[in-house]
Amino acid sequence: MKNLLCKELRLATPLLTFLFLGFTAMTFIPGYPILCGAFFVCFGIFQSYQNGRTDNDILYTVLLPVKKSHVVKAKYAAAAAVELTAFCLFAVFTCVRMLWLSDSGVYKTNVLMGANPVFLAFVLLIFTAFNVVFIGGFFKTAYNFGKPFIAFLVMSFLLIGLGETLHHLPGLGWLNELGLDHAGRQLPVLLAAAVVYAAATAASCRTAQNRFEKIDL
Amino acid sequence: MKVLSVTDLSKTYPGFRLQKVSFAVEAGTVMGFIGRNGAGKTTTLKAIMNMVHTTEGRISFFGLDMKENEGAIKQRIGYAGGAVDYYKKKPISKLLAVTKTFYDHWDDAVCSRYMKLFSLDENKTPSELSEGMKVKLSLVIALSHGAELLILDEPTSGLDPVSREELLEIFRHLKARGVSILFSTHIISDLDKCADAITYIRDGQVVYTGSVDGFTRGEGLEDAMICREKEAFCEKLAL
Repeated sequence: MKNLLCKELRLATPLLTFLFLGFTAMTFIPGYPILCGAFFVCFGIFQSYQNGRTDNDILYTVLLPVKKSHVVKAKYAAAAAVELTAFCLFAVFTCVRMLWLSDSGVYKTNVLMGANPVFLAFVLLIFTAFNVVFIGGFFKTAYNFGKPFIAFLVMSFLLIGLGETLHHLPGLGWLNELGLDHAGRQLPVLLAAAVVYAAATAASCRTAQNRFEKIDL
Repeated sequence: MKVLSVTDLSKTYPGFRLQKVSFAVEAGTVMGFIGRNGAGKTTTLKAIMNMVHTTEGRISFFGLDMKENEGAIKQRIGYAGGAVDYYKKKPISKLLAVTKTFYDHWDDAVCSRYMKLFSLDENKTPSELSEGMKVKLSLVIALSHGAELLILDEPTSGLDPVSREELLEIFRHLKARGVSILFSTHIISDLDKCADAITYIRDGQVVYTGSVDGFTRGEGLEDAMICREKEAFCEKLAL
């Protein structure tokens, strides 16, 4: 598995995927739907699937001395590696914006989603959508990625819309509060999203492995 | 001892059926897998390599079931499905560097020897190679990890006559070292020079599997196959 993950990062993942991690810095943009940063990180991973199809990556990997099911597992692991790196960056930037820059005028008057644990929870939900809708959809054929990507696109913008809307509803203003005063209510939301991310990604991986076994290459 | 045993392999596509394909490759022998275009040679080889999902049948290598021991079996076999058709824009050196990390018995010296023998430059990318050279690169990868069995799909097509003759010489050399080879081809004359056994497939069914002599019945290999194909064609025509 370690070899496969190294192969994913050395051969299948283009530089662009890593460069797109820079979009995590969108966390600092005031008056902007900062969840778009998570979408761009996924878009970076999508580039590796585009390159992979051009390079016949799946065929190459299947010919290596590995189980066919591990080919799928490695794809999920590579995506998770990029997503968790992005999540760490999002978390660092969120801490800076939430704890040290929270008194800054541009963030105080911000009507859009602020950077706090709930924002990080939505980041994980967008990553979950990518793993389940896009990667899971890709492994229906191990070739076509157009429809799965459009489905993910719609799903991610619905999630962004939901994130930007919820805190405007009566009684849910705490979802967008900065500082540590509301951490007691915000951190369980993040924890729940982490559980959803882990469980849904693992379930999607298992389904994709079963589908991939039946695909003719 | 059987290094590969295929039993009742079946696969149904719209318009084509692979029907209960069965044959076995003995250790230290070269088996030619022959048949005309579209007979089911590539599908069979891909099914053997678990690249095609079969509806029924059993495949075992070295007495081990393929489905349960896929990773371990692939360590001991080499597969080349024609020309290298992946990572065509990456330098060959990088491709080899990544590939070798997967094999327990990859031998850099053997790899360099075959690279030199085939006049392959590792600084080039596969896209810069001719089709024949891509086939050779594919063979280098298959030969560099001490495989006990080589499965080669049309390895000689695309090669010039001199390279083909060199490749057949390599087959003879490998066979002398105890390596078994299963290779499909429609260039029947290649088999005259090195095959011990033949499996002949027609319309998705194995028509003959056994010794070369049993297949040719005193004729040349190519004549024997053409004769059988002609008989089958005439039968269809009469219907």
